[in-house]
Amino acid sequence: MSPALLLLLPLLSVVVIFFGTKWSGTLSALVSVASVAGSLGVTLALFSTDSSMVAMNWIALGDVLQVDIGLRWDRLARGMMFVVTLVGTLVHVFSLAYMREDEAKARYFGCLSLFMFSMTGIVLADNLVMMFIFWELVGVSSYLLIGHWFTKASAADAAKKAFITNRIGDFGFLIGILMLFGLTGTVSFTGLENWLAGGHAGASAGLLTAAALCLFCGAVGKSAQAPLHVWLPDAMEGPTPVSALIHAATMVAAGVFMLVRVGFLIEASETAGLVIAWVGGFTALLAALMATQQDDIKKILAYSTLSQLGYMVMVVGLGSGEAAMFHLYTHAFFKALLFLGAGAIIYACHHEQNIWKMGGLKTRMPITFAAFGIGTLALIAFPFTSGFFSKEAILDIALHENKLLFLIAAGVAFLTAFYMSRLLVVTFLGAPRSEHAGHAKEVSVIMFVPLLILAFLSVVAGYKPVAELLQAQLPDVHWNWFVFFVSLATMLAGAGLGFLRYLDKRSEPKVIPVLANKFYFDEAYGWAVRNLQDGLAWVVRGLDALFIDGLAVGGITRLTEGVGCLFRRVITGNLQAYSYLFGVGVFVLIYFTVFLR
Amino acid sequence: MPAYILELIVVGLGLILLLLESFLPRLGAKGLAAIGSVGLLVVLFLLPSVTGAPSESTGIIWKFYSADSLALFYKGLALITTILVLMMSVVYVPVMQRYLGTGGGVGEYLILPVFTCAGLMWMASANDLTSIFVSLEVVTIGFYIMVAYMRRNVGSLEAGVKYLILGAVSTGFLVYGIAFLFGVTGQTNLDVISTVLGLLEGQDKIILFSFALLLVAFGFKVAAVPFQMWVPDVYQGAPTPTAAFLSVGSKAAGFIVLSRIVDAFLGDHGVQTGDGSYQDQIQRVLLVVAGATILFGSLAAIPQTNFKRLMAYSSISHAGFILLALACAYPVRMDMASGEVVAFYLAAYLPMTMAAFFVLCIVRSSRGEEEISVLDGLGKRSPFLAFVLLVSVMGLAGIPLTVGFLGKLYVFQAALDQGHFVLLAIATLGAAAGFYYYFKVVRSMYWNAPSDQDAIAVGTGSRVLLALLAAAIIFLGLNQGIILGFLR
Amino acid sequence: MLNQYIPVLMHLLVVVGFATMTLLMSVWFGRRSTSKQDIKDTAYECGMIPIGENQPRFSVKFYIVAMLFVLFDIEVVFLYPWAVVFRDFLSADQILIFWSILGFVGILFVAYLYALKKRALNWVG
Repeated sequence: MSPALLLLLPLLSVVVIFFGTKWSGTLSALVSVASVAGSLGVTLALFSTDSSMVAMNWIALGDVLQVDIGLRWDRLARGMMFVVTLVGTLVHVFSLAYMREDEAKARYFGCLSLFMFSMTGIVLADNLVMMFIFWELVGVSSYLLIGHWFTKASAADAAKKAFITNRIGDFGFLIGILMLFGLTGTVSFTGLENWLAGGHAGASAGLLTAAALCLFCGAVGKSAQAPLHVWLPDAMEGPTPVSALIHAATMVAAGVFMLVRVGFLIEASETAGLVIAWVGGFTALLAALMATQQDDIKKILAYSTLSQLGYMVMVVGLGSGEAAMFHLYTHAFFKALLFLGAGAIIYACHHEQNIWKMGGLKTRMPITFAAFGIGTLALIAFPFTSGFFSKEAILDIALHENKLLFLIAAGVAFLTAFYMSRLLVVTFLGAPRSEHAGHAKEVSVIMFVPLLILAFLSVVAGYKPVAELLQAQLPDVHWNWFVFFVSLATMLAGAGLGFLRYLDKRSEPKVIPVLANKFYFDEAYGWAVRNLQDGLAWVVRGLDALFIDGLAVGGITRLTEGVGCLFRRVITGNLQAYSYLFGVGVFVLIYFTVFLR
Repeated sequence: MPAYILELIVVGLGLILLLLESFLPRLGAKGLAAIGSVGLLVVLFLLPSVTGAPSESTGIIWKFYSADSLALFYKGLALITTILVLMMSVVYVPVMQRYLGTGGGVGEYLILPVFTCAGLMWMASANDLTSIFVSLEVVTIGFYIMVAYMRRNVGSLEAGVKYLILGAVSTGFLVYGIAFLFGVTGQTNLDVISTVLGLLEGQDKIILFSFALLLVAFGFKVAAVPFQMWVPDVYQGAPTPTAAFLSVGSKAAGFIVLSRIVDAFLGDHGVQTGDGSYQDQIQRVLLVVAGATILFGSLAAIPQTNFKRLMAYSSISHAGFILLALACAYPVRMDMASGEVVAFYLAAYLPMTMAAFFVLCIVRSSRGEEEISVLDGLGKRSPFLAFVLLVSVMGLAGIPLTVGFLGKLYVFQAALDQGHFVLLAIATLGAAAGFYYYFKVVRSMYWNAPSDQDAIAVGTGSRVLLALLAAAIIFLGLNQGIILGFLR
Repeated sequence: MLNQYIPVLMHLLVVVGFATMTLLMSVWFGRRSTSKQDIKDTAYECGMIPIGENQPRFSVKFYIVAMLFVLFDIEVVFLYPWAVVFRDFLSADQILIFWSILGFVGILFVAYLYALKKRALNWVG
């Protein structure tokens, strides 16, 4: 069995769904679920192998440029693949119930398979060009899935916003790839590694830093780091299982995964590492602050995702890809759990997403509550849950590398505990604050079974033997009592404050406008686009109309059209004229060949 | 099995078809096309198993005939093209019958391509001036008839007369050129000529003169400026399958012979050195002709409104690109000879052009028109046809991930390696203009409102064939190794 | 060097001389009519009447038969060079010399059958 099967299965499913079973939603759903379950099976079966293969030479221009379609199946890929296929399988199963009544079920599952295909491609890619292609493909599938309910204006807008914001980052990514190619003449990871190991023949450190930072731009877009984070909360317009799979567990983590793949580049440049670490830390703090004042259950989770991604990016910048991947791995489980739990709640409350219109769900949805509670504990790093181990590692590394970032990380841990306890208290405890919440019922088996599996993993995934078994990356850190106590203290303080402040409240006690309005990022961007960009566009358009359209393009167009018409006139259709021209041509050609030297 | 057996089989197949057509008229166009295609397909499968000249050259035939890998490659192209043309002709038969009047059958129209195919295959192997001339005439005479086949259609007749007269003139120049070359060297075999030319001194003028005459003849065949003026009229007037056949088959055969002749003239001279030798001059002439051809084809295509004329000008422009590859004798950095670049480009050109003409055939037989505007709204009416045509024009324009892109890429690379920057600029201009005029087709299909809503009926066979062609355009573009593998 | 072209020159002279002689002899020996006689003054045009409507209708059969005749006639000419080299080849490559002409005649035969079947040789039809 070859890792290529992992790429083929979802692709097959896409083809079958869009070209065959499009007419039947149920059949398409089954095809899609079968393919993702198959992928999970293949991943597990290939756990003990380690291989890299070149499927085919795609572009070969002599010795100038070589781009292969090649797969790299190492421990990093295996761990990531396990997360992607496992969460993918559970989300697919969950979707069976969640999307039961949707009209476009076939399209939904087709797009999910497309996403699985693209994500697999990113994980297995053995060169930057191939990764970039799949990188864009996940962008497309994310766009399609966010806009699944495209008749809703907000969903369509959110899809567009996600796509365009990502394009900004991808532009940097592309430039980074080209710079690296210019520097090294290769785009494969192995080639780049060898080049670096060989003392990167004469390239200046500045250029290397610039290239690494350009690649990081891609991660900023895909992993929604500040200042390109604005698309992720809006992406919650998509169906909730999609949010769980794409916008929490896997795709947004692709940026982190990419950074770890090219970790050797970041290690080579101190400045780049520092910039990355600070962007990550800043995002973590910013997002945690914003999460404390949101009312939409999915938005809270979205900001929490941002903040946790910030953690991962920060620790990549601090030089420990293992810690980042470890957190990615635990986070995938508990964040998918939280999102699917939120999905179950939303489903039970008839698509109500405002937490202030819920309440009292503990007794009505006990299983969901238990699962959601476990997820929350893991997220706030309650001792000996999976999140605890990974966050401990991050804090430990931050403490050793950069004290200031350690403070920020601890602050974020406090805020996390605060907003998550707020979410838990307002949603599940107290009395129902709306009719829908009062009538909520526990969800069906097919929905809570994935929750329970994820809950189980959220608890045990952090233990070393389990993580070893599941091929996760394990950071090399030792037990540190100081970090443990800081973490415990911030967690308890945050959670305690959250409980005390929100227990039995009917609405937000004190609205902090700057946080509730997400630091006015959207407004600022809107203003910038309106005034600066439109102003600039006006000036450019003037210049464009005058010089480009008028003289360059217009001139050239008119010139070519003129010449074209002139040429056309030569073709009169008259045979005598043709023969005459033929003869003239012969004379000209002979004269030119023989006498004009 | 020696390679020339293949041509014998194809000729035999043509004779059998001829007899079948006259003695079993019930067979009909479909039956003839089916037997012909199956027969050619068998030959195609036999192709890899043939052998070249034996080491101790015994048979007289090997003095006129070579069976190197390039020749076999072009034989394959000729066979595939002919099979596709036969399929296309079946679709086109209803249109043709309108212009035949009573008593006119379409039988010969399905048999002539088989004979022409034999000529094309022979041309691929011809390495002697006499066999070049004879095989070329076998091909050309077949085309004279096929172009004028719709004898009650003024356009077809006009095209036939134009092609016949200009073709005869160009043949005259070919003979004249052959005579001069023979006069200089006293030889007719190209390999021997190459050696003899290398030994001659102070005969540059006469050598160049004979080359110019040969270039006139082959310039006419491949539609190079200034011998291209017949192309738009003939394509427009000729039955569509014949236009496709001319555009792919005749052009490919013209290029293989031209590249053999250029190779003979250049000998082992290689890259243009600027030392004023006649080899340099030949390369310079080729470059100039290539540049003029690209410019003319691309620019004159822009104002066209008839799809077949558009394809005609685009075919001129593509011929320019191929000539450019030919002029870059030995690209340094790519491990490909210019002949291989040419072959790759032609192999890429085959599925794209065939798909475009095939769709046009189907549209024509249901709509009776060939203006671009007849494609209006095709994306809505017949998404499948529109998609195939989209893939095909994307390939012709050279958009990445299609095989057309790779073809152009190699040509640009070759020109870049030799430092022909002016030509590179012209080629870029031509490619850019290509985007513009091919986009007209796409715009018409997907943006313009349809003039009527009826879907166009497409038979299962055509559907499968079109899907195969579209798949080939994309798949070969993703994996360049396949064509290269066949080449070597 | 030019000596080798003397036969060509002689051939030229004979051709031109033959044509001139024929014309001159018909002037010398032919009886010239003094009165205007239409039939005798008309140009000879392969059996067609040269004066009439500007687009006369005539049977296409005439041309088909004529063309077939020319074609087969020309093909027969190709047998002469074959016959010339026949003896040399008998010692060198017997198989080639046999099959090549058989193929050639075979193709002609198929063409003949085809023309026959297509009723190209039927005058009424």
